[in-house]
This record gives sequence, structure tokens and C-alpha cells, in this order.
Amino acid sequence: MVDFFINDKKVKANADDTIWTVAKKQGITLPHLCFADKPGYRADGNCRACMVSIEGERVLAASCIRKPSEGMKVYTDDEKSSKSRQMVLELLVTDQPEKSDCHDPDSHFWKMAEKVDVSDSRFDKRQTNEIPLADNSHVAMAVNLDACIHCNLCVRACREVQSNDVIGMSNRGHSSQVIFDFNDPMGDSTCVSCGECVQACPTGALMESSLLDEYGKKVVKPERKVDSLCPYCGVGCQLTYNIKDEKIVSVDGREGPANLNRLCVKGRFGFDYVHNPQRLTKPLIRKDGVPKNPKERVNPDDPLTHFREATWEEALDLAAKKLAKIRDEDGSKSLAGFGCAKGSNEEAYLFQKLVRTGFKNNNVDHCTRMCHASSVAALMETIGSGAVTAPVSEVKNADVAIIIGARPTQNHPVAATFIKNAIKNNNLKLIIMDPRGQDLSRLAEKSLQFKPGTDVALLNGMINTIIEEGLVDRQYIEKNTDGYLELVKHIKDFTPEEMSKICEISPNEIRETARLFANAKSAMIFWGMGISQHIHGTDNSRCLISLALITGNVGRSGTGLHPLRGQNNVQGASDVGLIPMVLPDYLPISNQENVKFFNDYWKTEIDPTPGLTVVEIMESIYNRQIKGLYIMGENPAMSDPNANHAREALARLDTLVVQDIFLTETAYLADIVLPASAFPEKTGTFTNTDRRVQLARKAINPPGEAKQDLWIIQELAKRLGLDWNYKGPDEVYEELRNCMESMKNISWERLVNEGAVTYPCDGDDKPGNEVIFGEGFPTSNKKGKLVPAKLVSPDETPDHNYPLVLTTGRLLEHWHTGSMTARSNVLNTIEPQPYVHISKNEMKKYDFDQNETVELSTRRGKVKVKVRFDKMIPDGMVFLPFCFENAPANLLTNQALDPDGKIPELKYCAAKIEKLTA
Amino acid sequence: MLDKTKKKNFYPKGRNIDENAIIEVRNLINKLPIRRDLLIEYLHLIQDKHKQIRKKYLGALSHILKIPFAEAYEVASFYAHFDVIEDDAPSLQDITIRVCDSITCEMFGSERLISDLSNGLDNSKVRVLRAPCMGLCDKAPACEVGHRHVTKASLDSVKTVIESKDLHPQKVPGKSIEEYISDGGYEILQKCYKGEMDVDKVIEEINLSGLKGMGGAGFPSGQKWKFVRLEKSPRLMTINGDEGEPGTFKDKLYLENNIHQFFEGMLIAAWAVDAKDIYVYMRDEYPEIRIRMFEELEIIKSKKLIDSETNVHIRRGAGAYICGEESAMIESIEGKRGLPRHKPPFVSKVGLFGRPTLNHNIETVFWVPRILSKGHEWFNKQGKEGHKGPHSYSVSGRVKEPGVKLAPAGISMNELLNDYCGGMLDGHKFLGYLPGGASGGILPAEMADIPLDFGTLDKYGCFIGSGAVVVFSDKDDIKKVAINLLKFFNDESCGQCTPCRVGTEKAVKLMEKNVWNKDLMDDLVKTMSDASICGLGQAAGNPISCVLKYFKDKL
Repeated sequence: MVDFFINDKKVKANADDTIWTVAKKQGITLPHLCFADKPGYRADGNCRACMVSIEGERVLAASCIRKPSEGMKVYTDDEKSSKSRQMVLELLVTDQPEKSDCHDPDSHFWKMAEKVDVSDSRFDKRQTNEIPLADNSHVAMAVNLDACIHCNLCVRACREVQSNDVIGMSNRGHSSQVIFDFNDPMGDSTCVSCGECVQACPTGALMESSLLDEYGKKVVKPERKVDSLCPYCGVGCQLTYNIKDEKIVSVDGREGPANLNRLCVKGRFGFDYVHNPQRLTKPLIRKDGVPKNPKERVNPDDPLTHFREATWEEALDLAAKKLAKIRDEDGSKSLAGFGCAKGSNEEAYLFQKLVRTGFKNNNVDHCTRMCHASSVAALMETIGSGAVTAPVSEVKNADVAIIIGARPTQNHPVAATFIKNAIKNNNLKLIIMDPRGQDLSRLAEKSLQFKPGTDVALLNGMINTIIEEGLVDRQYIEKNTDGYLELVKHIKDFTPEEMSKICEISPNEIRETARLFANAKSAMIFWGMGISQHIHGTDNSRCLISLALITGNVGRSGTGLHPLRGQNNVQGASDVGLIPMVLPDYLPISNQENVKFFNDYWKTEIDPTPGLTVVEIMESIYNRQIKGLYIMGENPAMSDPNANHAREALARLDTLVVQDIFLTETAYLADIVLPASAFPEKTGTFTNTDRRVQLARKAINPPGEAKQDLWIIQELAKRLGLDWNYKGPDEVYEELRNCMESMKNISWERLVNEGAVTYPCDGDDKPGNEVIFGEGFPTSNKKGKLVPAKLVSPDETPDHNYPLVLTTGRLLEHWHTGSMTARSNVLNTIEPQPYVHISKNEMKKYDFDQNETVELSTRRGKVKVKVRFDKMIPDGMVFLPFCFENAPANLLTNQALDPDGKIPELKYCAAKIEKLTA
Repeated sequence: MLDKTKKKNFYPKGRNIDENAIIEVRNLINKLPIRRDLLIEYLHLIQDKHKQIRKKYLGALSHILKIPFAEAYEVASFYAHFDVIEDDAPSLQDITIRVCDSITCEMFGSERLISDLSNGLDNSKVRVLRAPCMGLCDKAPACEVGHRHVTKASLDSVKTVIESKDLHPQKVPGKSIEEYISDGGYEILQKCYKGEMDVDKVIEEINLSGLKGMGGAGFPSGQKWKFVRLEKSPRLMTINGDEGEPGTFKDKLYLENNIHQFFEGMLIAAWAVDAKDIYVYMRDEYPEIRIRMFEELEIIKSKKLIDSETNVHIRRGAGAYICGEESAMIESIEGKRGLPRHKPPFVSKVGLFGRPTLNHNIETVFWVPRILSKGHEWFNKQGKEGHKGPHSYSVSGRVKEPGVKLAPAGISMNELLNDYCGGMLDGHKFLGYLPGGASGGILPAEMADIPLDFGTLDKYGCFIGSGAVVVFSDKDDIKKVAINLLKFFNDESCGQCTPCRVGTEKAVKLMEKNVWNKDLMDDLVKTMSDASICGLGQAAGNPISCVLKYFKDKL
């Protein structure tokens, strides 16, 4: 704490205060252009608009960057500093486009000019040939550097905040200029379109092009703003929807705990799917006599070829009648429901309650089965909890982090920025393990591209090293784990030398990596689908958990296990019971106590036997055992492995009710389609990958007759004989939190006021616990279990006929099956069509040209798709994203399941690739 | 508006890296370790070999160093001596001629030389560029053909040089190691190494001598050593050999004449603050000296005259005046753009690579061995009327005998002109002078009796700086002189802060008008000097305010 004076008034400053921040607290907002006053933005002190006088100093000081010292006498109101601040603005105004004709007259720059009474300049403008031309090469952002004031905020936004490392300041002096890469057009650069620069720019030199007219002038001005959340991945970014004429026109990042104002391309530019003309606006009923053909595509622009429009009354009555008929005639086990990880906690809760109390069975599951089912199985088995033990942000306190089987810069872009920040600012050492390369590798200490499907070998080699070399945390093991001796015995044979032969990483590299991890004071492990989507997915996770436990890397600052959640509410949907074998809060159905509790709580009798999982349900439908299916927001026709098989199954249903916002590939086969609400059209709570429960607010109305999902579920429930009368999400929330220990102390009011609270939370006035399990695990003896893993080969390995490994996943711009992102103008323009990604050597070997259309096939199906060289792909492997309807990767994938997690092996199957014969 | 035709189809996004270029660049830089701070050295290797830097090589370098494309481009485009061009652009001309257009050379006809060379040489083979001062002001006009300097240059003399095909730097003779040792050289240093010298006493001796920072700041050297010694080790040392202030050529002379005395002084200073790594930043305009420095350094290493734990790293500037500012120089040594840092913290606390750093000008350490061998009195008594020590004035302009004049500190301009420089050139009447290069302001002949030393000129809005004295006469247009200086600052501003980046440009525009707007100029100069980040911007307005103050009648 320092005492000093501003304009002769005694003031106090904290260690991280600058003169500017103290002045602001005193009610003096000094003009500022290059200083953003936002988290993550370092003061740069270059614009000189915030200059103040300091007694005894010859020159003025930039208040944004200067720290006060004891007794310092600062003056903000003297003539010298006032005139200087004015002159700086006058100099900058000189070369700006006239305010009446500028890109954004409401910009921060013009506000600051006004603040110091500068509206024009006495200086001559620069020469016309010195004025930078507009760069409109990017699909979503316009670059008009004629308004640039060289404040450097975009450079810091790109390089320091988001660490996407595209923008720079070239040349020097009067010739200096903001550039992308090597002075390339923005649209041709390595820009990942996060839009952080647009959000940071104080002048309108960088703006969303959707707001501009053809001259680059801002013409679209929002009328109102609604604070909400991003509808995409599990990071859980808070954002603000800007609305005009009841349409979302742009999005700004908000200062949420998981994103600190940051967004990625999907969050910032992928909002317009809600206004896509293909939105379903009326209930649809399959026309009489139109057969369900699993190979047939229905044109979403014209569903009336196969469906007819209906009233809500008719559609709901029919859906309920048909489902009830199956339940009553074929037995309650003949129905199933797929809930949705994109919906809110309230929706997921009501959905599983509907299945359990209305369908009267536990055949309720959702896409968690496809993403982290194996991780959760391993976590539940070992440490008694399926959620992360520490949030992403904890990485700033870690010495070392492992990222394995995950590509956060594509799939969790905003989380990745915090990891990159930690590398650059906190000396984090990053270890990346993945058969494919990734752009994070550039910043990594180690990058291990091991042979696909050999995760356990690599990880066991590391565990072997750590145990053999005595790098374990003995005290931690003794106090907090079970099964260490068994692990020691088991791991003896898994020497780096032996494992190297399998995973193709040298013994030396395995050892060095193990040492780097084990010797860290604190280390975190992040993983994704590359770990979980294998038939040995649970084993993969067991190894990671063992790595953390034997080195004592759980429960402290900078440590933790973090399976990166793929969908915005996959954590919450699982928490509230959208899982066949557990009730809300993971209470096993196999335990009679739990069943009894819910019988009382719901005043009904629930089926005491666990239900079937996603792939099992599909199999059961295929075998004509399950006959009725209610799907909310999921798209198994695209997301299930061996999708031809899945589509065939869907076609065999007596009754398929699909509740969605678009006519998805799954809805093509529906009997009844219920038009639902998109994310910005409803209010609800969502739980992100960090266990943060956050509130999303309704920003706009659903289009046409589309209805909120909560209403639809409830109306269906009523027609299935349930006496439901929830007035809104808040009532549902109160019900769910009253049966869930984990949600204790997190009231709806709290979420309304605070926006986000992490569970578990110790008191209604206390913040949630970010890092958990410092005092043992929620297991019977409070200890974590070390479960050894054996080597299991992938289910289908390459052979003579199918010589390549096919792996699948996402692209930065697309999410899940593409039902939303493919309908976003910006996202779909950046990545409009499917490609199979392949190495340069393989391209040569097959004599493929870039963009050549080829046939990619497996034992289960084939697709025609263009080839694209991708330097991240190793030889012998191909990658196909699963989001494109016209080359669905899941027609090819293998439905073989992990025995514990029941997750299919989406990351590995044998494939072949051939030239098209003309 | 969204235009779907805009998207190019490539993956991953942005430029692909040329695998062959990576191999070429690796081969080219293989004698150096792979380190981020060596970026500028690598860029030199590419530029030297190809006479330009194609973007594919910049891409390869980014890949090898694991740095963003933008970071490599920022650095390469900041420095005047790198030419970044597109991969498919035609090659630049084989020969580059840089013609000095700084003040003295302009007085001696650089504009004509530029037009003669541009018109008289084959433009397909030769390109003629403007360049700032190359320290040859006593032989103006000067230019650099390839890496060979030509003094008192004309179209003919340049043609002769081109025809000779020898465009390499010309060897500097200077004092040899043998000569230096036989004069008692390196004795003090060896005593230091052997523990026969007491550090505190050495520092005291330097203190008493009154030795000051001869780069222009005039900070007492002994004090500086004391401050740096108080900081935590490891401490580093930097030598600022970026003598770029127009009109200054003293460091060049001392290095040419007696490089070992410089080495010895540098090594003693490093010993005094216990700095094991010394970074010598040599401006690219002095290639002959840099080459000699490498050679002579090898000699003293082989003769074990240098402590085995001490490493001397010679770094090559790349054409940026701003890197004479110590923190900008440090950024440049770190392989970055030369953007001056905010102070505090000062480099003595947080300097090179974030370590406490002792930074000295060449001449400053040059005097150290002499002071220690001859005693502090020998040095400080050389001053005049209370001023301490000798002072090196680089005199150029309209004088009969230009050159570096080692004269008593505190000497006046009139004395310097008449006693050391043989008076004005025939036919020229003394009109005024720059006491300290482009940034030290302008004084009229009527004010030529003021003692010239650190601190004596401040009250007149001027300073001595690096002692670059440029004399002009009634044949010179004072407005033109001032415009030349402001254009120099406009070219050399790093562009970081508004008052300097925009201010210098707008100042030139104001000065080029027939009638000067005094009020606006005053306002502008005030903000430039009060609000710029570093000395460049703070001093850039000095020529304007001096002309307005002292040469009203010439406007």
C-alpha cells in the first residue's frame, strides 16, 4: 500500500495500481486510447493521451503504466498535462476520416476526443497515397486502417490476450502499420477469426463487417443488449447478444470467469444460425404413406415433400398417443429418450424425469456417451466423481500441463488461450501427446506424436519410469491412494523400452517426459476425445488418473484432472441425471435407497433397473425391441458410429418424435417433428467444463410457432399422464437443486445476481470451490484407487485391404454434427465443405492432387470427399471431420464399445482411400 | 457485407511453409545457435546472401524459431537494412548505394549526388537509397556502395568503385595488439583479474576522474558502476556502439585507432560490476570496424588476455538510429524491434533479458584504462574552468579542418572553431552551429562563447549530447537545416508513441510552409518534449524551437 497525492488530495494505491486506476477510483477518468482497462490487457503507455504531471519530474508520465510511489505528487488538472492530452488527440484526429463520414462515430476514440474538447485539427492531413486502403478479405471482419491510431490494442489482443499470434505492427515511425502475418490480407492469413481485435479496437479500424455498409461505415446499431452465454463448447463463455429489430446482430464477450471477455469464432460470429430460414417454425407430421428411407435426404428448405404442417395440439396429442400406446401395449421397456447436452440443466432434468416417470423406464441417455463416458467411468471408479478436479484457469498456477488426445485451440479455443497465456506469462511447460500434430505444439516443451491407439503403452511407460526412478510422491500415495503395490507389480513389465516398440516414442523421450511431469511442483492433465473414444478409453483415463495420483497432482493449486467437456452443458446434463444407470447427482439406480428417495421425491414408482446407453438403444431399436424414441436436440443419424446402421435403426421405429430447431438428418426419419427454441431464445442454467453453473438469458423470441423446449417437454409429459405445472425454469431449477447435494448453496437468485457459481459451494455467501479433493475423495475410504491398465489393441486395425487409420473429430469452425454451425453464414463460409485430411507423403503415394475428389471407405460405408494436405497428419492416417452431411464421417466409423464406458471407438478404424475411377 | 467468394482454400490457415526454404535457412545459420535473440543476426545472413529477404525465408525462420509470422515480419520490416519482398517479386538490384542525406552531407551536396547517381547509373543493376549519417561527416558527402564507403563522393568516384568490383568493407589499420601491449596495454585488466586491484578503489578512481557517459547522457560513470553492483547477479553489460547521432564520428575514430584500449576499458568495467556476458551492439554502418572487432577479439582470447568466464557477444545493428537509445538497443540485442522502454525501471535494474545491466558508450570505456594507469587527475585536469576531463567533439560543416577534436571540456564554440578547426572555410561567414547533433538544438554565432559541456546548454534549450558539432554559415538556409533535422527524426522515429510518430511528420509539414505558424509549432514542440516516451521524441522539436527563438530574422 502506497500513499500519494492526486491534485493535492491524499490517496492510497495497491501494489498493482497505476496512477490511472487510482485516479479512476477518485472519479477522474483520464482519457485513454491504448489502455483498455480490461483483464488480460497490459498497459502499453504508447498513445500518451493519459499524461499527468509529477512534481519533480521534467517530463509528463503516462498514468496508465506509471506506478505511484510513496509521497508522489501527481497533477491531472494542470495546464501542462491538460494541453498535452489535448494535443495528442488533436494529432490523432488530424488523419482520421471526418467524424461525419467515419467508420464509427460512436467509437471510443471519438468519445475521448470529445472528452478533451477536440473535434478537429489545425494540422495538415497526410498525403492521400499514405492512407491505407480497406482490407475486406475476411468474411466477418473489415479492416479499415485509415482509422488506425497505432494504439497496439489489436496486437495485444491477438498476441498476448488470445495468443493467436497473427497481428503485428510492421515498419516504423510514420510508416508503421498493423499487419497480419507477413502483411497478408486478413482473410488469407493465419487468423482464426476470434474477433478479439475487433472487440479491442477503439476506433472502428477493425469491426464486424455485418454491421457495416459497403463503404465500411457502421450502419447497424444495436437497440438492446442481453447478457447470456455462448451456445457452443464446454468452456462456457459469457457473452452479450446485441439485438436490433428482434435479431441478433453481433456478439460481445463478457467478463465471465471462464472467458474474461474472450470469445472464439463460433461464439462471436456463429450466432446467426438462429435466424436461418431453415428454422422449423411449425410442428410437422409425416405424411401418410411416405416411407422412411434411411438413405434418403429430405430437403430442409422444403420438408413438405415428406411432412405436413400441424397444430401444436395435433402434433403433441399424436406424439403422446403413439408413445403411450407403445408403452402400454409393448411394455415400458419399448420406449427410450435421447436428451441433449446443448439444452439447459432444467431441460435435461425434466427430460430424464419424463422418461423415468412417463416412459417408466431408464432408457435415457445423451451424447455424453459419445464423448466422455469412459472418462467418467474411470473417474467414478477411481476418485468417486466424474467432474473435473480443477478449472482450466488453474493452469496459470501449474508448472507442467499435459494435453493428451485433445486439440483445445480448435475445440476449446478460449480455454486454450489461458493455457497459452500460462506458457507465455507463467513459464508453464506444456506436454502435448497426440498422434496428430497441432498448432499448440509450437509453444509446447514436448510434443509426442505417438502411434494411434497406443495411449496405454505410452502412459504405462511413463508410470513405469516414475515408479522405477522413485519420482513418486510417497506421502501422497500413502495418505490418499489405494492399490499402489498392485500398480507397482503390474507396471514392472511396461518398461519404456518395451512400450517404445508399441507406441513408437523413443524410450528416452518417454523417460524425459515422465520426469518432466513427475518433477513438476504442480501439474495438470487435460484430455479430450482422443483419450475417451476408444474401446480402451476407460483404461486410457485410468492411466492418466494414476499418473496424477502417484505424483500427488490432485487437490492443490496448479494441479488437477480435467477432461475437457465438448458440449456447453454435457457436464450439467450428466449431473442432473441424463444417464441410464444413475439418477440426478450420479446416484446409482442399482442402489435401492436412491430409487426410494426419488420415488418419494417424484411421488411415483420408478423402474429400479438401469436403462440402456445410446449405442445399446440403437441396437435394440435395430432389433425391433425398442419401438418408440423421443429425441430432443440430438442427431444420432450423424453422430452415431456406423451411421448407416443407426439410420436403418431409426427408420425401423414405430414412432420417432424429434424436437429440434432444424430438420436434422435424424428428423428426416421422424414421425413427428416439434419445432423448438434455439439457445438465445430461452433462459436456463448451464454447467461448463469447470463445474461452473451459469445463467443464460432469453434474448429473442423463437420464430413462428416454435416453442421453448421446457414447454414442449412439459406438454408431452402432461399428455403422458404426468401432472406437471412448472411455471418456468426457475421452478424446475429449485426442484433439481433440492435433490442434488452438489448444487447446495447455489440458488437461482444467486445465479441471477452473480451469473456464475462453481459447485461444490460451501455457503450461500461463499464462492464455489475451484480446486477440489484436497482433503480426500468422495469414496468410501476417502482414498483414490489406482487401477492398472493392460494393453488393448484397437478393435479394427489396418490390414491389406484397409491400410489406413481413420480418425474423426471437429474443425474450429464447426461444432458437433454441424446442424447449427453449417447454418451460420460466417462459419460455413470459412469451412464450407468436407475434406479428408492427409499427409503429404500419402498424397504422393496415391497420386492425389489437392482438392481432388476421392473415395474414402471402411467396412461399413463409403463417402466421396475432397482431399486436403494437412501437415498435422502423420503418414498412415487420415482425418475426416464428422460435421458434414455430404460426407458423414460416422458412416465409416466403428461402433465397437469400450466395455466400461460403453463409448464407441470413434477415433480409430481401418480405412482405405482410392482415386475415383472416371 | 458477407462475400462468400472471398475464402481461399488452404489448410491450415495462412501461408504454407516452404520445406526447402527451411533447409536453406538451416544451412545458412548453422554456425549460430538457435535462439530467439539472434533473429536479427539470422536476418543479416539471409539478406547478405540473397541481397533481400523473400517471405519464404522469413516463414522458414519463423518456423525454426517457433515465433509468429507477424513477429518475424515486425522485426525485419523495422530495420532499414532488411528488404523483405514477396516470393514471386523480381529480385532487387545487385548493388545498393546508400547515400547519406544527413545534415553535413546535405550541406556538401548529397542531394545532387543522389540525383547524379540515380540518373547516371544503370538502374537495373544499382539502386540508390537515402540513408542517415554514416559517421563520415568530416569527408562529406559520403555514401556506401555495397558495404564499401566512399567519401567526398561523386558520380565518378562511385563509378570507379563499382568498376573495381570490390564492394567489401575496407580494412582499418589502427593500433595492433603488439603495439598496444608494448605501451602497457592490458596491464590494468590483468591486475584486476589477478585480484591486485580493489574494486571499490577502481570505482572511486573513476568517480574522481569525473568520467561521464559520452553517449550523450553525461551520467557519472563511477556512480553507474556502483548502482549496478547493488543489483542482484547475474548482471550483464552492454556496449552501445550505435553511434548514430548525425554529425558524430568519435567512437568510430577511437575504435579505428585503438580498438584494444576500448576492449580493455570494457573488460575492466565488466569486471568491476561482475558481468560475465558483454554484448557489444555495433551499428551496421561501420562494417569494417565490426569485422576487425571479431578478429581482434579472437586474438585477445587466444592470448588469454580475457577472463575465461567472460563472454563477449558482438551484435550487429541493422539501420535504426533509435537503437542508440539504450533500452531500444537492448530490445534490439534481444532480437526485437528497437522500441524504447518505459522508464522506470531503468536498465541498471531491469535491462537486457530482464537482468541488471551496465550500459556504456564506446568512448566512455575507452578512457577507463588510461584513467586507471595515469590517475584520475590526469583525466579531470584536462577540463577547462571547472569542467572535468577532455571532451571529444566531432566537428563538421563549414570549417577548414573538420574531424574529431579532443579538447578540454567546457571549451567554447569560438575557441573550438578557431583553435582546433582552422576557422571557417574560405568565403563562409559563421552563422550558427549544432552543439549536439540533430537533437541538441541550434545556436547562433552570437552565442558561441558558451562553454560546451554536459549541462551548460540546457538553459538555452540545447545540449551537448554526443558532442556532434556542425557549423554552418551564411551560405546555409537555416530553415533547410532545421527541416533536414526534422525529416531525419521523422524517418527514424520508432513510431511507438503519438507525439513523436505523428508529431515529427506534422512538424515537417508545418516547416515546409512558407510562413511558419509559431503558435502551433510551439504547442506541438511542447507536447513532443513533454509527452514522448524517449529522448528522440523529446528532443526532436529542439531545432524548431531554436530557430523560432534564435533565428527569427531568417524566417
